[in-house]
Amino acid sequence: MKTVLNLILSHQPAAAVSKMLTHWNQCVPNESILIAYGGTKSEFDAIQHKQKFFVDDPRLRTRDHQREFQSYTRLFQAAAEFLEKQGDQFRFVHFAEYDHLPLVSDLNERQTKRLTAEGADLLAFHVHRVDGTNNPHFLYHMADDKFMSYWSGISRRAEQEVVLSMFGSGSFWNREAFCAVSAVKEPFPIYMELYLPTLAHHLGFRVRDFSEQNRFVRVLKDETRHVGQARKEGAWTLHPVKRLWDK
Amino acid sequence: MDFASGEAIVGQMIRRFIRAVGLKIAQTIGMPIKDFRSGRSLGRALVVPWRGKIHVIGLDVAVRHVAARPMFQPQKRLTYWKQEIVFTEHPPPDFVRETEKKNLS
Repeated sequence: MKTVLNLILSHQPAAAVSKMLTHWNQCVPNESILIAYGGTKSEFDAIQHKQKFFVDDPRLRTRDHQREFQSYTRLFQAAAEFLEKQGDQFRFVHFAEYDHLPLVSDLNERQTKRLTAEGADLLAFHVHRVDGTNNPHFLYHMADDKFMSYWSGISRRAEQEVVLSMFGSGSFWNREAFCAVSAVKEPFPIYMELYLPTLAHHLGFRVRDFSEQNRFVRVLKDETRHVGQARKEGAWTLHPVKRLWDK
Repeated sequence: MDFASGEAIVGQMIRRFIRAVGLKIAQTIGMPIKDFRSGRSLGRALVVPWRGKIHVIGLDVAVRHVAARPMFQPQKRLTYWKQEIVFTEHPPPDFVRETEKKNLS
């Protein structure tokens, strides 16, 4: 039984996606991979992978992601529809952007084990509580009065002012949490790095951090030349690796 | 398709360069900021009072993911003439699952 759905978001040309899949197949079964494609329709049609869908959502296709409140909601909804069609084959969802590279052959086993050990529903990188802090995404949303009142309106928790942040390039979910979050209609544009963990938290799910793996998931500097080194140092995944598929 | 003029691109590059240099200066000569509870270093920043506000410039929120809260420090000695503003971080999120508590529909 396949237990983990590996949902990979890419906008790269079909040839690069093909190389990416060759790499991913060393870490996870090919039939566990679902490609969410945010590039052009013609490149999407050229991708030789059975499980794929095209995302034509302007909220995903942002340029200034933070200021334009980039959203993964439509993408997650499409993946949830896919899960539904597959019956109960998949119990977990691993989401990764194209430049978040898997490095170990038993990646899904490690993720599942960690999620279980933490008793968590969502594992993500750089998970922080940011309400009341200088976190720029939080402050940007706080300029809108609706932001905090939305959470208090839906929360199942006693502390309704909690706002969580995570790094958006990769996350690991149990199916229940993933589908519950996907089923909620985004009330107004909220940047996904705040929206996803905060919504999961207020729906009552337990959100935890990948802790020691955080150092292999960074924001700016391309890590293409450091893949071997990261693997030696114990990385399960590495981000951002943007130029591996160009060669 | 619209293209930015060469002048606009150069202007943007100059602004980015000035901002990067300013940030480097703030993170070099700025005040060391620590979590007042744990003592953990949160980096350096220039803290500038200006027009009734306190501007914090250069705290590394992008790369080090520093999410600091300002607060007045609790006082062991009661004073009416001075209070201190310090910085602290929330503890790492560790909330229990509460999915069965109430029905949202």
